[in-house]
Amino acid sequence: MIPQVQQLIEDFDRLGYVVEEELATVLLLTLNLNKPLLLEGPPGVGKTEAAHIISSLKNTELIRLQCYEGLDAHSAIYEWNYQKQLLAIKLAENEKLSTEQKEAHIFSEEFLMKRPLLKAISSEQQPVLLIDEIDRADEEFEAFLLELLSDFQISIPELGTIKAKHKPIVILTSNRTRELSDALKRRCLYHWIDYPNFQKELNILRKRVPQFEETLAVQLVRFVHYLREMKLQKAPGIAETLDWANGLLALQFKSFSENDIEKTLGCILKSDPDINLVKREGIATILEDIGA
Amino acid sequence: MREDHFTNYQSFQEALTGFTSLCRHHELKVGLSHTQEAIDLASHGFAKDQATFQYALKALYCTREEEFDAFSYCFRTFWNKKKHRYNHTISKSKTKTNAGKTNKASLVMAGFSPKGEKKEPNEEAKQVTGASKIEALKKTDFRHVSQMDATLLDQIAEQLLRQLNHRLKRKMRVAKNGPIDLRKTIRKNLSHGEELIHLIKKNRKKDRFRVILLLDVSGSMDKYSFFLLKFIWSLKSHLKNIEAFVFSTNLIRITEFIHQDQIEKAMDDLSLHANNWSGGTKIGECLKSFNDLYAKRMLNGKSITIILSDGLDDGNTGQMRSEIDKIKMRTNKLVWLNPLKGTQGYAPTAQGMQSVLPLLDNFETAHNLESLLELENILAHA
Repeated sequence: MIPQVQQLIEDFDRLGYVVEEELATVLLLTLNLNKPLLLEGPPGVGKTEAAHIISSLKNTELIRLQCYEGLDAHSAIYEWNYQKQLLAIKLAENEKLSTEQKEAHIFSEEFLMKRPLLKAISSEQQPVLLIDEIDRADEEFEAFLLELLSDFQISIPELGTIKAKHKPIVILTSNRTRELSDALKRRCLYHWIDYPNFQKELNILRKRVPQFEETLAVQLVRFVHYLREMKLQKAPGIAETLDWANGLLALQFKSFSENDIEKTLGCILKSDPDINLVKREGIATILEDIGA
Repeated sequence: MREDHFTNYQSFQEALTGFTSLCRHHELKVGLSHTQEAIDLASHGFAKDQATFQYALKALYCTREEEFDAFSYCFRTFWNKKKHRYNHTISKSKTKTNAGKTNKASLVMAGFSPKGEKKEPNEEAKQVTGASKIEALKKTDFRHVSQMDATLLDQIAEQLLRQLNHRLKRKMRVAKNGPIDLRKTIRKNLSHGEELIHLIKKNRKKDRFRVILLLDVSGSMDKYSFFLLKFIWSLKSHLKNIEAFVFSTNLIRITEFIHQDQIEKAMDDLSLHANNWSGGTKIGECLKSFNDLYAKRMLNGKSITIILSDGLDDGNTGQMRSEIDKIKMRTNKLVWLNPLKGTQGYAPTAQGMQSVLPLLDNFETAHNLESLLELENILAHA
C-alpha cells in the first residue's frame, strides 16, 4: 500500500468512516486525477457518506443534487426568480427604458437562482458535488450530465457560458435500479460498495456507536448478517445496523432477547412482509443459529 | 489473442497498451483513452505498489460489478506469471451454445417447431371471407401464419406499432395541460409592459412508464413465442423504457438482445444465449427468480408488468400465485396476455391461471396482431 492510501485510510478513520484499502485507493485516485467517481451498491452501505467525508476532509462545501424521476436540467442548474422579475418589470414601468434594457436588467445575475450544478461550477473554492441516486433520474438528464462532466461549463442563453473556476470533485451514487449509459460510465471511475463483512461492520459499529456494549454489538451484527442472507424485500444496510444499535441504546436494553428484538425490529426492517417473514422464521431460531 | 506477460514489452507504456488490449479481448469496454489515463495514474505514483495499481486500474477499466472477475483475471494473467482461472461468463455463454440448443432455438425462431415440422397453413386467414389480406392477417391466429405471410405481417405490425406510438404520445399531450411557463411568458410579454397578455404553457413532461415483459417460451407456447418475441422487439423501438425476459424452466433477461437494431441479429444473439426454449414450464419458480433478482430494481409505481403466457404450468401453482402477488404489490399494473384466450371455447380452467385471475388488472388475449394492438388501451391508461 502506498503511503498516501494509508494516510487516507487514517483520515477517514478519524472522521468515523471505516474504509478498506481498495476504496481508499479509488478515492485517492478521484482526488488526484480529478475524474468523477461512480459509486454503486445496495442502499445504506455508505456511498453518500463517502462524499460527506471527502468534503469534511478537504474542508470544502458539499453540494448535493438529489436525483428523482422527472428531474430536469432547469431544476438542477438554475431558475429565474420570476416573482422578483415581475416586480422589477412593475417598478421599471415609469422608467423610460427600452425593451432591450428591461430585458437585460431582469435577466441579470441578480435574478438568477443557482441550483446545485451551477453552484458547483461557479463556486470560488473547489467543492464536492454529490449527484445522489443518479439511477433515479431520466436518461435525458443523464445525457445532459455527460456534457457537464466533460466540459465543466454551463450555457445560460441570457448570460452566456459559465466555465468552472475550479473543477468540482464529483461523486455520483447509484443503487442500480437501472443500468446507466456506457457514455456516462466511461467518464467516471467506478467502484462497487457491497455490504461489509462481519469484521468491518463490527468496526463501523464500534466507531459510530462506541457506547454500545461489545457482546451486544457482536450479536447484533451477526443478526443483521443473518437477515441479509434471507430473501427480504429490503435487506438492512449499515445505516439500519447503526439505527438499531442507537435504538437499543436509547431504550437501555442490556440484553439481546427475543422480546427486545421483536419490539425494535422496525429499526432494521422497513416493510410488513419482511417483518412477518422474520417472525415466521422465528427470532428465537435465528438467535440460536447465530449462537446468541 | 495470446495472453502475454508484461515482461514481453519494451516499456511500461507499451505494457499498459498490451494490458488494455488484453482487457478488450476479454470484453471490457476499454480503449486508447483508458491507456492514457492509466499512464497518468502511474505518474501519480499508483503503480508503486501492485495492490494499489490493481485497485486503481480496476476503477478505471471497469464500469460494472460483473466485469470485476474478467478484470482480475486479466490483471493476474498479465502482471503476474501465474495464471488463474476465472469464470468468464461472456465467453462461456457463447461457447456453451451447443449445436442442439442453437438449432432448437433457431428453429423455433425461424417459425418451425423443434421437430422440424412446418407450421400449419394459413387456414384461418383463408376463412375470413370478404376481408382484404391485411385485415385477414391482422385477425389470423399466429399458429396459422405461414412463413410467406409472416414477412407481410411484420411489415403491418411495424406500421401499426408506429401509429400506436403516435397515438399514445398524442393522448398524453392533449390530456394533460401543463402549468404556465413563467419564463417564456415574461419574455413574450415584455413589450406589453406589466400586462401578461400571452400565457405560455409548459408542455407536461411525458410520463415515462416502464414496461416489463415476461414471455413464456415453453413448449406449449412454441407456436406463439416467435411472433410474440418479434412483437416485443418492435415494441422496444416505440417504448423507450422496456425490460424483457423469457422463461420456461428458468428465467433469462433478454433486454440487451432486443435492443439490437436488426431483428435477425437480435434473434441470432438470443438463440445463442436463451437455452430455455421449448422446455417445460415452471412459472412460479421463474417468477420467483424475477422477484428475487429484478423486481426490486425494476418495479415501481410507474411500471406495467405484462406476462405473455398460456398459464399452463408444471410447477407449484401455490408458488405461482404468491409470486404474482408479490409482483402485484410492486407494480402499477399487472397484465396477463394469454394466446389461448383467443381460442373459441377457452376458459381459464388451469389451476394456476384460475388462482391468479383475481390479482390481474387485465387478462387479455394475444393470439393475433389485432389483439396485441389492444395493448394500446392498457398503456394509454397507465
